[in-house]
Amino acid sequence: MLSECFIASTLASSKAPASATLRDVGVCVHEFQPTLNLRSTFKKSSTAANCLAVSPSHVFAAQSEKAIVHVYSREKGNQEATVPFPERIRSIAVAGGKNGDVLVLGTEGGRLILWETCTGRQVATTASHLRPVTSLVVDPNSNFILSGSSDASIHVWSLVDLLSFTKPPSGRDRQPPNSPIRTFSNHRAAITAIAVGHSAGRYNIAVSAADDSTAIAWDYHTGRLLRTFLLPSNAKSLALDPADRAFYVGYEDGSIQSIDFYKNQSIQNPLHDPSLQSTPSQPPAEDRWAPPSADCGTAHALTLCYDGMTLLSGHQNGKVLSWTVGRKKYASTVADYTHPVTNLFMLPPNGLPHPSLDLKRVAHTIVKPRYDSSLSETSQAAGAVPADYTFSTHLLPSISSKPNSAKPDQFTEAFSHAYFPESMLEEGLAELAAFGQPTSNGVPVSSIAQGISDEDLAAKDTQISQLEAELATLKKKSSVNETARQSTTDEVTKLRSDLANLHDYINELHEKQEQAQREKILRQARKEERETRRREAWFAAEKKGKKGDAVLRKMDAEDTVMTSDTDDQSSDE
Amino acid sequence: MAYMSMSLHAVNHRLTNVPVKQLPHLASCLASSISNCGELLSTPQSQKSGKTDSDNAVQIHKLITRLGSLLQDRTYEGRWTAVVLVKALVEAGQWEILRSSEPFVRGLISILAKSDPVSTKKMCIITLTRIFHLTYQYPTLVREITTPALPGFITSALNLISVKPSSEPVRRLKPNTPFVEVVLQAVNELIARHPTIFRPFTAQIHSLLQVIIGSTSPTFPEHILEIAQQLFISLHNCAPKNTGGDEWKSACRMTITSVHAASSYVLRAVVEQWESVDPSLRQMSQPQNYSQEVGNGPDALGLESWQGLNSGVNRLVVLLRMLSGFVGTATASTVTIPVGAILDLTSRLNMVVYPSGSSDIQANPQIGRAEREQLLTELPRIHIACMKLLLDLVNALETSAIPVAQTILEQALWVFRAEQFSRDVRTAVYDLVCALLTRIGPSMTKQSVSSMAFIIRKCCHDLLPPTGNQNAATEKPDPKSKNKSSSQATVNADSFLNPGLKQVRQTSSSSSFPDLTRAASELLAATLTHTPSEFMSPALRAEVDRTLILTSDKNAMLASVLNPFPAMQGRGVGTSILPFLARSHPAETEVECLIRPRMPVVMTGLTANGYVPMEDDDDEDEDEAVTAVPASTATGFLKPTPTPTLQHDDIMDVEKDIPSPPSKRSYADEVEQPAAPTIATTSPSSQSKKPRFEPKAAAVTQPPLDAASPATFTGTAAISVPTSSIAGPAPVQTPKPAQSSIAKPSALAAAAAADDESDDEMPSLNVDPDTEDEDEDEE
Repeated sequence: MLSECFIASTLASSKAPASATLRDVGVCVHEFQPTLNLRSTFKKSSTAANCLAVSPSHVFAAQSEKAIVHVYSREKGNQEATVPFPERIRSIAVAGGKNGDVLVLGTEGGRLILWETCTGRQVATTASHLRPVTSLVVDPNSNFILSGSSDASIHVWSLVDLLSFTKPPSGRDRQPPNSPIRTFSNHRAAITAIAVGHSAGRYNIAVSAADDSTAIAWDYHTGRLLRTFLLPSNAKSLALDPADRAFYVGYEDGSIQSIDFYKNQSIQNPLHDPSLQSTPSQPPAEDRWAPPSADCGTAHALTLCYDGMTLLSGHQNGKVLSWTVGRKKYASTVADYTHPVTNLFMLPPNGLPHPSLDLKRVAHTIVKPRYDSSLSETSQAAGAVPADYTFSTHLLPSISSKPNSAKPDQFTEAFSHAYFPESMLEEGLAELAAFGQPTSNGVPVSSIAQGISDEDLAAKDTQISQLEAELATLKKKSSVNETARQSTTDEVTKLRSDLANLHDYINELHEKQEQAQREKILRQARKEERETRRREAWFAAEKKGKKGDAVLRKMDAEDTVMTSDTDDQSSDE
Repeated sequence: MAYMSMSLHAVNHRLTNVPVKQLPHLASCLASSISNCGELLSTPQSQKSGKTDSDNAVQIHKLITRLGSLLQDRTYEGRWTAVVLVKALVEAGQWEILRSSEPFVRGLISILAKSDPVSTKKMCIITLTRIFHLTYQYPTLVREITTPALPGFITSALNLISVKPSSEPVRRLKPNTPFVEVVLQAVNELIARHPTIFRPFTAQIHSLLQVIIGSTSPTFPEHILEIAQQLFISLHNCAPKNTGGDEWKSACRMTITSVHAASSYVLRAVVEQWESVDPSLRQMSQPQNYSQEVGNGPDALGLESWQGLNSGVNRLVVLLRMLSGFVGTATASTVTIPVGAILDLTSRLNMVVYPSGSSDIQANPQIGRAEREQLLTELPRIHIACMKLLLDLVNALETSAIPVAQTILEQALWVFRAEQFSRDVRTAVYDLVCALLTRIGPSMTKQSVSSMAFIIRKCCHDLLPPTGNQNAATEKPDPKSKNKSSSQATVNADSFLNPGLKQVRQTSSSSSFPDLTRAASELLAATLTHTPSEFMSPALRAEVDRTLILTSDKNAMLASVLNPFPAMQGRGVGTSILPFLARSHPAETEVECLIRPRMPVVMTGLTANGYVPMEDDDDEDEDEAVTAVPASTATGFLKPTPTPTLQHDDIMDVEKDIPSPPSKRSYADEVEQPAAPTIATTSPSSQSKKPRFEPKAAAVTQPPLDAASPATFTGTAAISVPTSSIAGPAPVQTPKPAQSSIAKPSALAAAAAADDESDDEMPSLNVDPDTEDEDEDEE
C-alpha cells in the first residue's frame, strides 16, 4: 500500500511528554499519509538542528553537546551502535546517493570528518572553518559537500578529492590536501541553514540562510551569487521545492514564508538572469504564513512531502505542523512530541515504483570507524588501495542487473513463458518425429526421410530396391573375391613346393661339386707320386750307369696305360 | 467466463478424443487455450457456486486427471504433450492448481529417469523448476510439495549429467550430455530459495562445477561456463547458519589467490614491476622451472591443472569472470567485498601491457621469444576481463566506488594508452570510463579532464566513418593546396566514379561494430554531461561536436547542447549545435522541451570565472541558444552545407579560424569599453577588409540580427518590461532596447557592448564560410 512517512528528532528538554509511548524517545518514525500514526521510535537521543541523518538502512543522530553519534538500525528498530568521535559533532549529513554509505560530520572545531560506514574508513579534513560547522548538505551527485559555519562562510568540498585513495592530478597544489575547493562568503552572520537543488547537472543551485536576515541563492559549481533575498527576519530553516521553483523559510517566531523564484513572466530563468543578480529582492514581511498560535517557537526544520504540496515544520514547542503550499496557510498539527523538534525528514513513499531509488545492495550493519594505522592516510604508499580495504554489504537480487538481458537464453525464456516458447516446441516436435521410429536403422538419411511424411512411400520403395540391388552386387563381388582368393592360395602352395624342389636340386649340385673337388685333389696326388717315381727311376738308372731317358720312356709307356686306366675309372665313377 | 469454460471444454474434448500420437501437433494451441483460461483456473473453489461453476470444476478436475494419466502414458508423444500442458496449466492456475500438483511433480520426476527424448526431459526440468518456484511463496505448499519432492528431483537431474560412484560425495560429469545447461540453470534458480534441501548435495555439485570451470582442453561454451560460475558463487547460500558470508568470502579470496597463482605462470615471460600492497602476497613467488612448458598444478580452488600459455590465459579469463560474478551476484547475507585485494590484482594484471612508446616491458631472459610474443598477443584478452571486473565492481559499489574511482580510472587509461589497437579493449574501457564519469565526473579537475583527451579523441574516431572515404569530400572545398592534389593519385578511384557507393559504405562500416559504437557514443554523452565543460580544450570540443553532428546521435547531441562550451573572453562565441539537433530530431520530446520550454529557461553558458566582460558573452550565448536558433536555421548558413561537406572543414576549422575573429573582437572589446560611440566606426572598419562579400553577408544575416538584438536585451530590459512574452522569442520587443539603455545609464555600457557584440556575433556565426571564401578569393 502506498504510504508516506517522516522522521523527526527532538532535543531533550525538561518537559515530560504527555503520553507514555513518547517517554525517552528521541527519534520518531511517523506515518503521515494515509493515516497519521506513530510507526516506530528510537530512544535515548537528543539532537540539535542539522544533527540527524537518514540512510535507507540506518538513522544517525549526533548527540547535542556530546562527541558521540548514535546509530539506529531502521530494519531492526534498535540502537545498533554508539560511535565516539574526537570532537563534538555539530552537524551531520549522509552522502553516497541512494545507499547513503558515507556519513559527513561537521565538528565543533571547524573540520569535517568523513566516515565510510561500509568500510570503516575515516578521513578528516583541515579545520577550514573558524567556528563550528553548523549545517551540512551533500549535492545530489554526491560529489560536493557544502558546509556552513557560524563564521558566516560556506565551504564547498569535493567529496571525490577527500575520499580518493589516489589523489587526482590537481591544479590546486598550493593548498594543503583535504581542504575546500571553494568558499562562498557573501553572508555576514552565522549560517543557519543550507538547501541544495535537485538537479544532477552543473546548473544546480544552493540556497543558504544566515542570521543577517538574508537568504542567498547561488551556484555552488562556480561560487557565483545568483540572487539575494532580504528576509523580514532571521531564517532558521530552509526547504526547496522538488522542482526548484521556490523555497520555503522557517522563522524564529514559527511563521513560514514561501519565496517564489519565478515572479515575473519571463522567458528566462530569473535566477540565471545576470541583470537581477546584483539586485536583492525583498519579499514582503506580510507574506508570511502565520502559525496557529504564538507559542509555537522557532521552526527548526522544514520538509516537503513527495508531491511538494504539503510542507511540514518542526517547532520549538514540540509540534509538527503541516501547511498547504497552494493556499499558503497553516493546515493542521500533525504531531506533538513535547520536546523541541529539531530535524524533520520526509521519507520517499513506500509502494511507489522508483527505479532510480531501487537498492542493489543494503548494509544491514555499519562498520565502526577504525583508527588502525593501515587505513590512516599517511602510512600507505602514495595512492595505493590497502589490501585490507573491504566493503561489507549485502548484494540484493535485482531484476534489472541481468548481465545477459540482451540475449535471454532458452531457459529463462521458457521459464517466464506462459507455457513454452514456440521455438522450443518446434524443436521438440522435430525430435519426437525422429524419435518415433527407433526400430528403423540408425542411418540418419533414412530417419530424416521418415521424418518428412508417409506420402512418399514410393520414393522409399525405390530406395529400398536400390539398396537391395546394391546388396546383390555387393554379394557377387564378395563371391568373386572369394574365388580369387582361393586361386591365389593354390598358386602360393604350388610355388612353395617348387621352391622346395629347387632347394633339393641345389643341394645335389653342391654334393657333386664337392666330389669333383676331392677327385681332383687325388689325381694331383697321383701325378706327384708318379713324378717322384720317375725321378727316382731316372736317378737310379743314372747311378747304375744306364741311360735314364730310356727308363723314363719305358715308364711313360706304362704310365699312359695306367693313366688311361685311371681316367677311365674316374670317368666311370 | 463463458468463453473460458467453453474453451476448457474444447481442450478436454480434444485431449480425450484425439489419438495420443497426434497430440503433440495440437499441444501448442491447447496450451495457449489453457493459459487463456487463467482467470477461470485460478478462481478459488470456495467461491464457485451455481451450476455453471460446478460444471467448470468438473472440467478442471477432468483436465487434471487426464494430464496426470498422460504423464504416465506409454508413448513419448503423450508424455511430451503432458509436460507442455502441465506447464501451461500451472502458470495459468497458480495456487488453485499448484495445491493439487503433487501427482504432476511425481510424474514429471519419473519421466527424467525414462528414455524420453531430450526435449521432453528439458521441458520436464523447466516445468518442475517452475512449479517449485511458484510454490515458494506459499509455505504450506512448500511443505506439502517442494520439500518432499525436491531431493528426488535434484538426484535425478544430477544423474542426467553425471555419474555418482557409490559411497563418495563426488560426481563425475558425463561427457557430451545435452542437459548440462538446463540442469545447472534449474539448480541455480532453486538453490538460493531452498538452501537447506540443497545442503547435502553441495559437495556433489561443487565437484561437477570444478570440472566444468576448470576444463581447459575442451572448454565448455561460454553460457554454460557463466551459469556454472554463478552457481559456484551461489553455493555459499547452502552454508550452515550464519556462515554464508564467510563461505562467500573464502571462495572469493581463493579465486583471487588462484588468479595470482595462474598469472605468476602466465606472465613469466616478462619481469613484473608490480609489488603487492598485501604483505602476504609479496613472498608468494615460487621458483619455476623455466625449461618446461608453462603450466600450473591444481590451484586453491581445486581446479584442474593446465598446460600451455593458451590454456593459461583461458583459465585467467575464466577466473576473472568468476570474480566479476562474485561482485555481481546476489548474496545470502552481508558479505565483505575485498575491494583492496581486487584492485591489487587488477593493478598487477594491468601493469603488464603491450609495449608502446611510453611503456616498455622488461623481458625475462630465461623465456624464449616465442612465448613472450604469444603472451603479448594474449594480453588484450586478459585486460578486457579486468575491465569487465572493474566495471562490475563500480556498478556494485555505486557511489561508494568514489574512493577507488580515481585508481580505477588510472588503470583504465594506462591499459587504453597501450592497447587501443584492440577494438574490444576500447569497448571495455569506454564502458568502464563511462561508469566512472557518472560517479566522479562533476568534481574532476582540468588536469583529469585533459588526461582523458586522447580517449575522447579515439572515441570520436571510432564513431566517425573511416577517414579513407573522406578524401574526396575534403578535397572538394579546398582544391587550392598543392600537396593534396598530388595525393589524389592514391585516392580510391571508386569514390570518384560512384559517389553513392561512399554513402553505402559509410553506413555499413559504422554499424558493423554495434557494441563499440554504443559504448563510444555513451562515453561521449557521459563526458559532456558529467565533466565540467570548461575544462575541455576548444579543439577537442569542436571535434566532439563535429562527431555528434555527423553521427546524429540524439542523446549525445542533447548532452552537448545542455552543456555548452562556456564563452570565454577573447575566444569568440560559444557555439552550439542546437540547430543540428533541431534538424536531425525535430519531433523528439526532448528537443521540444529544449527549444520551446514551458518553464522558464536556465540560460546556459554562464561564466566560470565571473569577471565582468564575460557577462556580455553570456548574453550572446543565451541569445544564440534560444533566439538565434529559428533565425539562423532559416538563413543561408546551414542550408548549403549538408552533412558530408561539413566533414572536415566547417567545424574543425574553428580552431584554425579563431585567430582572425577573436583578434578583431578583442580589439573591438578594448575599444568599446571606454566609449560607446566609437563602436559605430570600429565595427564597419573591421569588416571593411572584406568588402566583396560584405553586402551579401549583411543581406543574409540582417533579418536574424534584427530578431536577435532585442532578445539580447530581454535580460537587461526585463525590469522595465515585466510583461515580456514567454513563448514568442523576440520580435515584439524590438523598439524597447534603445529606450531602456538610455533610461538606465549604468546599464548603458553593458547594453551597448552587448549590442555591438551581437552585431559582431551573427557574422561570426557565419565565420566559417566567410573566411573560406576569403581564402579562395585571395589565392
